[in-house]
Amino acid sequence: MEGCQTKLIHRGAEADLLLGRWCGLESIYKSRKPLTYRLKVLDDAVRTRRTAHEALMLREAKRVGVRTPYLYHVDTKGAVIIMEYLKGARLKDRASGMSRAGVSAVFGEVGTMVGTLHSSGIMHGDVTTSNLLETSSGLAMIDFGLSTHTQRIEDHAVDLRLIKETLTGAHPMIADLALDSIFAAYRKVVGGARLKQVKRQLSEIERRGRYARAD
Amino acid sequence: MVDSLIGIESTAHTFSASVVTSSGRILSDVRDVYRAPAGGGIHPIEASSQHMANAPGVLREALLEAGIPIKSIRAVSYSMGPGLGPCLRVGAVAARSLAATLVKRIVPVNHAIGHIELGCLLTRTKDPLVLLVSGGHSMVVAFSGNRWRILGESLDLTLGQLIDQFGRHAGLASPCGTKVEEAASKSAKYIELPYTVKGNDVSYSGILTAAKNLLDRGVAFEDVCFSLQETAFAMIVEVTERALAFTEKKEVMVVGGVAANLRLSEMLKTMVRRHSASFRAVPPRYSGDCGAQIAWAGWLEYNTGNSIAIVDATTRQSWRLDSVDAKWRDARRS
Ligand SMILES: Nc1ncnc2c1ncn2[C@@H]1O[C@H](COP(=O)(O)OP(=O)(O)OP(=O)(O)O)[C@@H](O)[C@H]1O
Ligand SMILES: [Mg+2]
Repeated sequence: MEGCQTKLIHRGAEADLLLGRWCGLESIYKSRKPLTYRLKVLDDAVRTRRTAHEALMLREAKRVGVRTPYLYHVDTKGAVIIMEYLKGARLKDRASGMSRAGVSAVFGEVGTMVGTLHSSGIMHGDVTTSNLLETSSGLAMIDFGLSTHTQRIEDHAVDLRLIKETLTGAHPMIADLALDSIFAAYRKVVGGARLKQVKRQLSEIERRGRYARAD
Repeated sequence: MVDSLIGIESTAHTFSASVVTSSGRILSDVRDVYRAPAGGGIHPIEASSQHMANAPGVLREALLEAGIPIKSIRAVSYSMGPGLGPCLRVGAVAARSLAATLVKRIVPVNHAIGHIELGCLLTRTKDPLVLLVSGGHSMVVAFSGNRWRILGESLDLTLGQLIDQFGRHAGLASPCGTKVEEAASKSAKYIELPYTVKGNDVSYSGILTAAKNLLDRGVAFEDVCFSLQETAFAMIVEVTERALAFTEKKEVMVVGGVAANLRLSEMLKTMVRRHSASFRAVPPRYSGDCGAQIAWAGWLEYNTGNSIAIVDATTRQSWRLDSVDAKWRDARRS
């Protein structure tokens, strides 16, 4: 990978994202640089674990029919992933300028994607609007570092809780409509009974996290 | 004559009263703190009885120390919630009596908003990403639209609860933050503990169980303290970093009781540097619960024309900060 020309295009929370070439293809290099606030042993463990998960789950998600970048190469030890470059805009940057119909449509797509993952026993673990890219050929999902194989209702509810938190925290103006669209589409994939269970668990998680000073 | 306001804090272990001026000068900040017995947690009824007994003295002292004429006091603010019911009720009753005696309006304040707004005042930050870490809260908060909004939080225990419950298991008396920090600084031996980040949120219950087990198995207290701090702090710093990358704010501020921990501040400072933002920690004297946070946030609220009648001065044990319209911030923007 050394010697290949790359250009930093984004500094994320966990990683530097560089644009470069891989076997002649325009590619993204996602490099989880050491985070020096963390103890080195801990940091190394977290970065390699997340890199390995991301590489594996990018392919798994694609296999079950969710649009993700193609994985080109992974260097677990060095915590670098090389993947397809998807031209598009983050949903985060697009969300505020959308019409109500646009919000319904695109967040419906989000609901379908998350439902598809869940019904295949995959939890994304980090479904925020910065991890969804709108491309010319539809919505794509990235950033699978926190993904795991799980069928647990609790885990699926945690996924939906994060979506809810991101929407109410960062996109309050469209949050209600977006959530309704997500749940409606999610329901179509996983079924009404499952949605009910997941929603109940979601409320339970929220209740747990509420102010709990008395101990 | 400068306008001022008296604020009363009474959400948990601290009963405090403070007089703050309209320009944010803290003229007095008097506190009485309930101490739980060693190995035990805060007992709400005992804490509230202590508050009840000491309230008149604390109020009198806060007024005397401020050294201003009573008529310069515009209103009485108090922490309406969130907090422990019995403790909150003492604050509400104190506010009612004081307001009735002085013939002033009452301003209810959300305790968490108090932490944040006092932090902004003292650190001179305008629009920070806030990490609020205390016994009652572990959350990452930013202002957007008309409210302080939650971008990440603990799904179970707060950071303060984690430290206190662990400390109590080791036989310390709550609050245990200082003692755990001191012990941690004597070790550099890391023992792996569950690192649980879920998206923008953290979960601390796994660390608590594992750390207690280590103690029970005879592992040195210092080493467990060190490992607990390193793991728990790294997790909350990571979610703060996520929110920082997401919001692209230029300032990061830490407030709440755990903000006094130097290792946490150091980690936050290191993290913030990577994103070319600035970092501020609230001065230690005002990191924990105090009347000044309620007086200052009370003033901001009062200034927007928001006050209530004495009979409406009730309590709200679980009052989320993202349900409060922060009108004073909107006004400042336009
Ligand atoms: N395959 C890709 N194609 C195009 N752009 C990408 C790709 N992967 C990542 N990006 C861009 O880089 C940003 C960050 O990527 P990613 O979410 O994987 O890292 P991160 O460290 O979590 O960053 P952030 O904290 O911003 O979410 C994305 O929001 C997107 O704009
Ligand atoms: Mg991301």
